[in-house]
Amino acid sequence: MLSLIEARGLAKTYRLGQVDVEALRGVDADVTAGEYIAITGPSGSGKSTLMHILGCLDSPTSGSYRLDGEDVGALSGKRLAQVRNRKVGFVFQTFNLMPRLTVEENVALPLKYRGGVTRGERRARALKLLERLGLSPRVGHRPDELSGGERQRVAIARALIGEPAILMADEPTGNLDSQAGNEVLKTFAELHAAGHTIVLVTHDPGVAARAQRVIQMSDGRVV
Amino acid sequence: MNLLESLLTGLDEARRHWGQTLLSLLGLILGTASIVTVLALFGGQTALTEQFLSEVGGRGTIIVSDREPSAHPGARELASKRLTFRDAQYLRDRANALAAVSPGWAQQLSYRVGNASFTGQVIGTVPAYMVINDIKPLVGRYLSDLDVQRQARVAVLGWKYADSLFGRATAALGQIVSIGEKSYRVVGVLEREEFYFAAWENNALEYRNERAYIPISTAITQYSASDHLDFLTLKARPGAGAEAQVRSLLYARHGVEDFDIRSSGQGAGQQAGQFLLLFNFIFLVVGVVSLVTGGIVIANILLASVVERVREFGTRMALGATAGGIFAHVLAEVLVVTLIGGLLGLGLGTALTGLVAHMMQMPAVVSPFIATVSLTTAVSVGLIAGVFPAVRASRLAPVEALRYA
Repeated sequence: MLSLIEARGLAKTYRLGQVDVEALRGVDADVTAGEYIAITGPSGSGKSTLMHILGCLDSPTSGSYRLDGEDVGALSGKRLAQVRNRKVGFVFQTFNLMPRLTVEENVALPLKYRGGVTRGERRARALKLLERLGLSPRVGHRPDELSGGERQRVAIARALIGEPAILMADEPTGNLDSQAGNEVLKTFAELHAAGHTIVLVTHDPGVAARAQRVIQMSDGRVV
Repeated sequence: MNLLESLLTGLDEARRHWGQTLLSLLGLILGTASIVTVLALFGGQTALTEQFLSEVGGRGTIIVSDREPSAHPGARELASKRLTFRDAQYLRDRANALAAVSPGWAQQLSYRVGNASFTGQVIGTVPAYMVINDIKPLVGRYLSDLDVQRQARVAVLGWKYADSLFGRATAALGQIVSIGEKSYRVVGVLEREEFYFAAWENNALEYRNERAYIPISTAITQYSASDHLDFLTLKARPGAGAEAQVRSLLYARHGVEDFDIRSSGQGAGQQAGQFLLLFNFIFLVVGVVSLVTGGIVIANILLASVVERVREFGTRMALGATAGGIFAHVLAEVLVVTLIGGLLGLGLGTALTGLVAHMMQMPAVVSPFIATVSLTTAVSVGLIAGVFPAVRASRLAPVEALRYA
């Protein structure tokens, strides 16, 4: 099996005023292609910090991290942006859609940052993906005209459009009612079935139970 | 994504929240408008000053007059003959920085024609005076060199005196007028001179309509015991240090500085000049204040709009935007927004200028220079205010930007 994520001894210390807060205290993590993993644990257990580091949005204080064979710690800012663009698809709890862009433009945004993809191609790929996620009637709408569940599925489409090696979601159902949450989880299940690698963070045992494997965290460590 | 694409994205963003942009940029618009208005009104006043100066003979006119005697004069001051006709001749011969020298004699004398009589100013002078002060005859001629040589009893009347003595200004030509109980033939009547600094102001040149000019030689022989002068009107050659030269030449003759030298604009229109000076000063202060205020408002608005979008930049970085891309994006938006705001402010300022100029009857024009200055101010303040948060936003780690409150 192809190892996508290989993290060793990840530690992260924040400085909050005068106090050092140890969010991660030496975490190993391995993810192989095609896995569906839930990172879970109580609030303050370090699960979000771990997810941010794995998603290349944050850097560890110490430890090593290889993503798809590449040593992330050694990358330049520009290469790091490319990695975020090509290898990771990130889904946020608060969706983080651009309010002034249409659904289609939101989804196509990562391809715009990638460069070299024509406008026509970006559009075609966005429309195809939105159709797959059942959002075709919404392509011309603005995010504030959508329901929460729809917004999160648009965010998932945006995360997927760059065909990343790994899809990461931070509390993807946290801001949704149970029905919308279920829709989103169903989408994840379908994507997993289609061969996508998924890592999500949740504090909800019900959500975690849907994953293939659960990484339980507490107090900055995997338990 | 290259720079051009980043700029285009920024442009696109500004266009999309156009309504919001407009609203939040009210400060920018008002700031720019006030800069435009103040500069235009200030420029109008400056132009008016220049115009007045050229009406009274243009720049480079120098007036020399006796200084008030000191309370405790020294021997040299007591010995000085003060300003004399010989001083004028001396300057004419020696002062190469001067283009023209005109001695001046002034006195209040009685005017009489038939039953009409009043007391008014009489100026004794030479033909050069007309050239220096840009005086034009309405009918007849000005004084000639021959008049001066012959001590001729001829007079050139200001418009107002000719009009009130003879009923109609042009009717005075060729008539006899009694000045200080001596008879003079009117050889010329001057054009009516008018200049208004503002609609509510009096005619700043009215004093020129209320006088008569007679040859200096006539004035001295008829009314004076000495060749003492009341003033010297001089015209400087461009670029030469005329004032300093006149000062040193006169000092050499008098042995003491018992004279005052004023340059153009300070002379007879002094009151108007002082009013103008105050006016200009107020405008300058208001202009600087509005420039600074406008700048602060612009900076504040842009700072706020960038800060509230730091989380958005975090999302964009998570999607693969580079730091440079974010920077270019912010810069492009700031540029577009300040340009739009600046142009709208320029429009508003132009309208406001027109309104104020119309209401206050003052000249004011929004010149290309003013347009450039105000737009440059708006955009450069915008860039300065925009670059700082742009750099900061692009330096944050994505996760820090995402958490930014």
